Amino acid sequence: MQKEPREEKLRNRIREISQFYYRRNRMPSFSEIGELLGLKSKNSVSKLVRKLESLHIIERDEKGRLIPKSIGFPVRVLGTVEAGFPSPAEEELSDTLSLDELLIQNHEATFLLKVSGDSMSGAGILPGDMVIVNKGQTPKSNDIVIAEVDGEWTMKYLKKSGNSVTLLPDNPNYQPIKPKHELKIAGVVTAVVRKYQ
Amino acid sequence: MTDQPLTIGSWPQAILHMDADAFFAACEQAIHPELRGKPVITGKERGIVAAASYEAKARGITRAMGLVDAKKICPDIIAMPSDYETYSLFSVRMFEILRRFSPDVEEYSIDEAFVDLTGLRRKFHSSYGRIAEQIQATVHRELGITVSIGVSLSKVLAKAGSKYNKPHGLTVIPGRDIHRYLDRLPVEKVWGIGPNTSAFMNKLGIRTALAFARKDKQFVKKHFTRPHQEIWCELNGISVYPVTAESKSTYQSISKTKTFTPPSTDREFVFAQLSKNLENACIKARRYGLAAKKLILFLRKKDFRSIGVELKLSRATSYPAELFDSLRKGFDQIYESTIPYRLTGVVLGGLEPESRVQFTLFDDPARIEKIEKLYHSVDELSARFGKHTVQHASSLPAKLQMQHDGDRGDTAMRKNSLFRGENRRQRLGMPMLHVNV
Repeated sequence: MQKEPREEKLRNRIREISQFYYRRNRMPSFSEIGELLGLKSKNSVSKLVRKLESLHIIERDEKGRLIPKSIGFPVRVLGTVEAGFPSPAEEELSDTLSLDELLIQNHEATFLLKVSGDSMSGAGILPGDMVIVNKGQTPKSNDIVIAEVDGEWTMKYLKKSGNSVTLLPDNPNYQPIKPKHELKIAGVVTAVVRKYQ
Repeated sequence: MTDQPLTIGSWPQAILHMDADAFFAACEQAIHPELRGKPVITGKERGIVAAASYEAKARGITRAMGLVDAKKICPDIIAMPSDYETYSLFSVRMFEILRRFSPDVEEYSIDEAFVDLTGLRRKFHSSYGRIAEQIQATVHRELGITVSIGVSLSKVLAKAGSKYNKPHGLTVIPGRDIHRYLDRLPVEKVWGIGPNTSAFMNKLGIRTALAFARKDKQFVKKHFTRPHQEIWCELNGISVYPVTAESKSTYQSISKTKTFTPPSTDREFVFAQLSKNLENACIKARRYGLAAKKLILFLRKKDFRSIGVELKLSRATSYPAELFDSLRKGFDQIYESTIPYRLTGVVLGGLEPESRVQFTLFDDPARIEKIEKLYHSVDELSARFGKHTVQHASSLPAKLQMQHDGDRGDTAMRKNSLFRGENRRQRLGMPMLHVNV
């Protein structure tokens, strides 16, 4: 086996612990760290823990259990070890959203749909666009919804007034729809994505 | 006697078993809403029914039935090509929904899970039955599929509960009611009791799960081995099988098998199938940082008889280049040219963390390091451009020929309905609703 430089080895161990944290949503116990990294004795685990504490990668609570510090942000962990101190830029960026987080509220309930018609062109939704549909949220008036009206599927504005429900297109070539027998709403459109290149 | 409860403790612990109803077919109905309420089957590309919707089952369609027979029984059947990518996405989402309720979720199979609910009544201000109802409703609302749920004191009982009322059933079996359910349950239907054991039990006069559960401990110890003693405990409401929340972050073994139609007698093609399976198994092993000490390969003939061979490796590895010699040797040992083959499979066993692999005296570290670098690059290319961007030449015949005759037009719709930036290999990890709007 090629001899790992010490830093590389430490980095790998941090990565393993961090992966555990992400998988299980909790920090490992001492014996689990031992198992995870192939360390046989509790003493060597506790040495490692002290080392990580001194690097501010983890913390311990009053009962001695581990609390994640920078290990919660794996990118920063690498920075910490490499540079010795976190860079101010990374500090500032720890509160930013990814595009995924911006576009998706409830991941498990989110579906994609490829638009084929132009009845919502006024709302900026064109054929070929990708719309993001949330099945988990209760549709409100003025939401754009994917709905089945009397056996036909459609994407329209939902308008509720009193007891009556109307589905409104955003294109003068289309007529508003009033459900005669049945209206089933499959989901609410929460975003539209159009990629040009 | 028959009315006496097996245990009086109603909820010493609460285990939930969730089983999705006709899972693959239900996923298809969820993403193709026009298929709801219609007889739908999946597995079109293989010519065999892989899953049947409840509407199809009601018409007499069963799993593993030939497509031709299915069409005879039910001419208006809708056959869909398998879309494992979508099914996997649904599966992961089901488990994520379960984790909203409890951290202790065991992913038992693609469409089944155990959840430990013990102690969660206070948090949700409701009974275990109500929590199960909420789980069922959430899955239905967010994914558009139905699941059947059993809640009881042990895994074996929870599993009996989820089977008790299907589809979309919810069966709660508290301690004091266990005997009522087991009385109607034939012993061979109990999870973990196979045909041989149930035949033996019948000889001892045990026909229902309740009859077995009511036997005293001495009797069970005398006649049965450990696994069945454990099932006896579980039936009595004493939980012995824990819910192991560890999601599949590590494996005992990794196996990859693939059927191809029509069956083939072409030696290089059959070997290419095997080689492709090996590459796939190794990709998975590397993804989990594992290396194999054992390699098992097997071939299945047209008449469904299988033959296999197990090879021990001198050094654990996850690089096909180090395994091809063994693979070829094993293949030559078991391959007979006269009979067409329909399936090949590879199992990597004796897995251990890659970081702990040691060189043996006879290894050539320089060569192995080179191989390591090579596969590192291969994996990077795959991450960027999709799986099998670079592959071994021995797998090429498998790539050039369609996996199944008539494959064209039988690929899942998602693979042909792409957004800009997606390709046939890599798509957004999110299911797509197929409706024209």
